[in-house]
Amino acid sequence: MKRFFDAELENFRSHLLQMGERAIDQTRLAMRSLTDADLALADKVIAGDDELDRLEVQIDEEAIRYMTLRGPVASELRLIVVGMKASHDLERVGDEATGIARRSRKLAIEPRLELYADLPRMANIALEMLRDALDCFVQEDEHKALSVIRRDPEVDNLNRLLYRRLTSFMIEKPETISRALELMFISKSIERIADHATNIAEEMVFLSKGEDIRHSDLTKQIAPPGDSAPPLPGNGK
Amino acid sequence: MSEPAAPSTAARPVTVAAAAPADPAARAVIEIDDVDFSYGPSRALHDISLAIHERKVTAFIGPSGCGKSTLLRCLNRMNDLIDGARVTGGEIRIDGVNIYDPRVDVIELRKRVGMVFQKSNPFPKSIYDNITYGLRIQGMKNKARLDEIVERSLRGAALWDEVKDRLHESALGMSGGQQQRLCIARAIAVEPEIILMDEPCSALDPIATAKVEELIHELKRDFTIVIVTHNMQQAARCSDRTAFFYLGKLVEYAETRTIFMNPANPQTEAYVSGRFG
Amino acid sequence: MSPPATTAGMIYARPTPAKRAERAVFWLLRLSTYFVLACAACIFLDIGLKGGAVVFRKEAPFINVPFLTRAPETLNVLEFEGRKLTLGDAAFRKFRAEHEAALKGVRVETYVYSAGGIFPNIVGTVLLVAGSIFIALVLGVLSAIYLSEYATEGPFIRFLRLAIVNLAGVPSIVFGLFGFGLFVIAFDFGVSLLAGWLTLALMVLPIIITASEEALKAVPKGYREGSLALGATKLQAITTNVLPYALPGILTSSVLSIARVAGETAPIMFTAAFVVRDELPWQVQQWTDFFFQGVMALPYHIYVVASKIPQNEYTRDVQYGTAFVFLFTVAAIAMTAVVLRLRLRRKYKW
Repeated sequence: MKRFFDAELENFRSHLLQMGERAIDQTRLAMRSLTDADLALADKVIAGDDELDRLEVQIDEEAIRYMTLRGPVASELRLIVVGMKASHDLERVGDEATGIARRSRKLAIEPRLELYADLPRMANIALEMLRDALDCFVQEDEHKALSVIRRDPEVDNLNRLLYRRLTSFMIEKPETISRALELMFISKSIERIADHATNIAEEMVFLSKGEDIRHSDLTKQIAPPGDSAPPLPGNGK
Repeated sequence: MSEPAAPSTAARPVTVAAAAPADPAARAVIEIDDVDFSYGPSRALHDISLAIHERKVTAFIGPSGCGKSTLLRCLNRMNDLIDGARVTGGEIRIDGVNIYDPRVDVIELRKRVGMVFQKSNPFPKSIYDNITYGLRIQGMKNKARLDEIVERSLRGAALWDEVKDRLHESALGMSGGQQQRLCIARAIAVEPEIILMDEPCSALDPIATAKVEELIHELKRDFTIVIVTHNMQQAARCSDRTAFFYLGKLVEYAETRTIFMNPANPQTEAYVSGRFG
Repeated sequence: MSPPATTAGMIYARPTPAKRAERAVFWLLRLSTYFVLACAACIFLDIGLKGGAVVFRKEAPFINVPFLTRAPETLNVLEFEGRKLTLGDAAFRKFRAEHEAALKGVRVETYVYSAGGIFPNIVGTVLLVAGSIFIALVLGVLSAIYLSEYATEGPFIRFLRLAIVNLAGVPSIVFGLFGFGLFVIAFDFGVSLLAGWLTLALMVLPIIITASEEALKAVPKGYREGSLALGATKLQAITTNVLPYALPGILTSSVLSIARVAGETAPIMFTAAFVVRDELPWQVQQWTDFFFQGVMALPYHIYVVASKIPQNEYTRDVQYGTAFVFLFTVAAIAMTAVVLRLRLRRKYKW
């Protein structure tokens, strides 16, 4: 049976998706401003963060309104709760993207360090995770969510690797320390974006199954069927 | 804020209308102004003042005996039927006219202010006769016109498809929820401006309740609705504004979401959160 | 400890004083009811058997037609040419004309009202019942509507109600005398149908008012409110949505009233009943006379034949026959009301 307030739930959903798209875009553009040393693009990313903040407020507002007036239970309740959390994660993703854009502005006016190659790779994985997590939201596919969660260590490893390389680089060439530190922070930001994607994926599992899999071994035990993901590099978390 | 150069990113987020503050342009159809009401020596309402907005659903909530039903019944002067019950002070104006003015024709008033009762009370007549009752007592005899109004009213009450094949069967053969929607259809058949509902769902199961609530939501396009309810979820779901009464006084009257999320009065807070007294 | 065994032991019945008392009282209640039933059965059987023997016949048309279609006559019993003849008035006159000579010196015994039938009495009773119930229903329902729908509860209305209830307790002979004084003498109606109607109507009014008021009050408040909320006037609400649903209840009260009106002798003996009258009620000079004529009535006839004339085997037949027909007539009128009520109830079921 359709209810007159079903549209509100649909709006809520689409705003969340819209926010996800926006966060992905922000991250991608921030990375491009870094690789292309595009100052204008970086400025746009920084300015565009307001939009994400606004969306987060709006989603919270809608969620509270829905909880207040419609008395959600079961899957609706999970959607509302998950929506609030996911919007917070996405807002943080936006903040990280803004951080990357700020740092890429600083780096753009300085000589380039040849250590960029790993960052886009990391960023691509993080973006892919984010995208998949959002797809889970659309499809309510908890197996895909689990695959997102399993990819997080990959980004962690890359981050750690880069950290080591940048450390030795800084020891060798102390004049690059400030630039290398920026890169280190950017790497950390990307790693954080992947973490947020993992959070969102966990929330999506809660949304579709009603089980909280955070801080559990579940992610390791349940292998998605036909999972063809390559073995994770390094030794995981 | 300027449009970011970012590609894609679907349309700009739309502002959800319902989240916006009350439409200040909404016209107050019913103005209740400092009304006192007594049943004989006992005072039931104290200095009630509130304005009910056009084409909005206004909910009256409060514990039993708080005066919410009394106030509702003042709005179409159903209280006139009770011996010794009378408005002892203040005015109730509908479209600017004080309905307790001696020149006011109560019959005319009740045609404009329809009412749906707590216990669904279809007359033990056919569905058709129930709907046409209000028109027939006004002397309408044109069969074609009556047929047309029956169909329109039943459609308006989302009941047409369920009963169109048994219009001439007894209304008492319908389910409880259908009976209540029939009473709503009967009320809208006389084309009132305002519909008063006195706990319309208290005897219905959740599905029937949901249907009536759905109907209320539809009806507010054409009618101003005032609903008394004990079910706070119902007030939250279907009303735009909510008035909380306690011991014959109006404690708080505001946007429904304000009442349920951030009530100004601690009594309201205690009542809506279910820890009263 | 073994709880299951304990529990199982508890289910088996054990006699206790309370249970014995319950059985004893149960039987007492049952026997009382049977006793009442037995008494009623005795009365009905007695009247049914003895009255049935008078009213029914072994051969076609199986019914004692003259008894139901003729007026009471004097019975003439005589011995003639070795046979014992029992002749009604008309037959005896004819017989006497034919055998003028032979009848000289024959002893003829006459018994009043023991021949002929009771047709005028049946007609009279039906007329009395129909008229008085009509008057009582109209007056009663109107007052009931006033009391339950319009009157504001107060000392006066309470007094009025008390008066009505008290009226029900007034002995019927007092009604009879009152009717005689007011209608027969003061209004100068004479001993007439109209005086009988009004007296009987007054007598059953309390029953009808009280029962009608109850019936009106039993109609759910929602129907009144529903009508009023749709813009009906109070009168419209009552006539369209209250009174029709109260009718079955009102008719129930009228069934009781019919039995009472039909059965009472005292109120009509001064106001409406004739011991004997030759014309039937419709044999009047002009239609207004209809209301001012006395009638014969079954209960009064029973009273007369049972206590006002010498008793013998011939009057016994008339008594039983009349009682039987009387019971049957009342039952028939009451059944009409019951059937009407059932049909209404089916139509307005809530």
